Amino acid sequence: MPAALNPQAPFWRRCVAELTPPRVAWAAALALAVALLLSPIFKPAWWVVFSRTLFVAVVLLLAYAAAGQWRQRFMPRWGLQVLAVVLAAPLATLFMYTVSVGGDVSVLFGPERVSGMLLIGGCALVLGLVMGLGAMVREREAQANAQALQFALEREQLERQAADARLAVLQSQVEPHFLFNTLANVQALVESGSPRAAPVLQTLIAYLRAALPQLHDGAPTLGREAALVRSYLELMQMRMPDRLRFEWRVDPALHALTLPPLTLLTLVENAVRHGIDPSEQGGTIEVGAQRDEGGGVRLWVRDTGRGLDETHAPGTGLANLRERLRSAYGERARLTLSAESPHGVLAEVTLPAVDA
Amino acid sequence: MPDITALIADDEPLLRERLATLLARCWPALRIVADARNGREAVELFETHAPQVVFLDVHMPGLSGIDAARSMVGRTLIVFVTAFEQYAVAAFEQGAIDYLVKPFDEARLAQTVARLQQRLVPPVTPSDAAAMDALLERLAGELRSRAPRGAHLQWIKASVGSALRLIPVEQVQYLRSDEKYTLVVWDGGEALIRKTIRDLADELDPGRFAQIHRSVIVNLSRVSQVTRGVNETADVHLHGRTETLPVSRSFLHLFRQM
Repeated sequence: MPAALNPQAPFWRRCVAELTPPRVAWAAALALAVALLLSPIFKPAWWVVFSRTLFVAVVLLLAYAAAGQWRQRFMPRWGLQVLAVVLAAPLATLFMYTVSVGGDVSVLFGPERVSGMLLIGGCALVLGLVMGLGAMVREREAQANAQALQFALEREQLERQAADARLAVLQSQVEPHFLFNTLANVQALVESGSPRAAPVLQTLIAYLRAALPQLHDGAPTLGREAALVRSYLELMQMRMPDRLRFEWRVDPALHALTLPPLTLLTLVENAVRHGIDPSEQGGTIEVGAQRDEGGGVRLWVRDTGRGLDETHAPGTGLANLRERLRSAYGERARLTLSAESPHGVLAEVTLPAVDA
Repeated sequence: MPDITALIADDEPLLRERLATLLARCWPALRIVADARNGREAVELFETHAPQVVFLDVHMPGLSGIDAARSMVGRTLIVFVTAFEQYAVAAFEQGAIDYLVKPFDEARLAQTVARLQQRLVPPVTPSDAAAMDALLERLAGELRSRAPRGAHLQWIKASVGSALRLIPVEQVQYLRSDEKYTLVVWDGGEALIRKTIRDLADELDPGRFAQIHRSVIVNLSRVSQVTRGVNETADVHLHGRTETLPVSRSFLHLFRQM
């Protein structure tokens, strides 16, 4: 689109920018067509006629462009453009003939030349107007499309911002129950003078640092998420050493992958809350991430805990995660849960392939 | 005077040890005779050792502390232990039940110990026990109602390939009986399950799902429009689907207001 040029550019540059290759090509093609049509009636060779029609066509195109770029207030832009074409068609023809006869005006008004001028000028006027109006209609359409696109873009940005704000709130929820129970355990270690106290406290700090919202941080990566999940699992293992084991199958090559925040943690918390915690025997949690054949990524959390009852109300965590995945990937990401045998749950998230 | 005996029940071993250490400090005459890791163990060990004082964590796997306490009422002094559970703490205060909040505060524990020592002298009367039992029953009921467990079906288990998928009911679009099986159509695809339409109609939340035909149940939030047909029938159209579902005459009243 010609509008791509900076509106602050000088007048002549904006005019030149209006002369797009398709427009010039159309002008040239029409000039050629008129020249070929008229050449049987004209005495000069067809290419002489073409050079004249081409000149007129280029002048019309320039007049149209200049009228469009001229910033004036006394009439609408389209009106000025029509006027420019109407005036330019006879004037350009007259000018071209004057030059061709070397400025001898008496020769100019011979009967042959007058009919030639009328033919070329008339064709130029009609075709110039048709092309000019056509160009105007197309410009309007292009503008309307651009505006619609702009609106859609703005709406999408607003939606994204709203979703991000909601996310920040969701992210800030470190469960008080978890925090106080964990602190009670840390306190026990500290009071008993256990050498484990310091590293456990370190793990808790690492967990809180990653779990509390950090607005200035960039996109969360799988590496960061993995560190968060590991700290969480280590803390839970300290709390229930006889009931919780975990296995780690996250491919370190995927650590740079960006993903919606708390994707893995939501699944792991869910496995602990609904699988391990209510079970007297406890179980194993397997956390994994692997690139699949299609170039996408598969994340999974498998537990051998109690499993989900058909009437067990799903936590808000999973519904929120589904929402986050949808806002980040549309329908291209999936979260599925399946029952494991003899008991337990497998939660899987598949993310689409993204260009790095 | 012989030692006072006590039982500690908590699923987190470090917290059992911590409570035992604190008690050894502020109540040297107390002897911990048993450690339980869950409610069931607590009840068993209680029967074996008949301790005079029981410290019960409220939140334990299997049987909760409150449920475990109900079989001990009148036979021992009970102290509940809980982490950040505002609701339970308020209930305990109302019922004057002794409780401790984790992480433990030593001054608070000393108060509890003093109270326990006082109450160890007069024996518990049957009327006290009855009142306590009623209170525990109410508490247990309230805790259960807070637990994420509904009466209605929340997941539909369906075989998809080799996996037994758990489909959240809100993703289900409609269910349709298909000879011996029922076809589940949800956002992620279709599957056959063995449950009958009649069973599903009973188990699904009637506020979200409606049976509209002898063989069809629809997720009401997915209905885009209902068009009237001839002969007192209608068709239900769904968002994002081309097929329509039949509404039979006996279920037409569901859409009368539409």
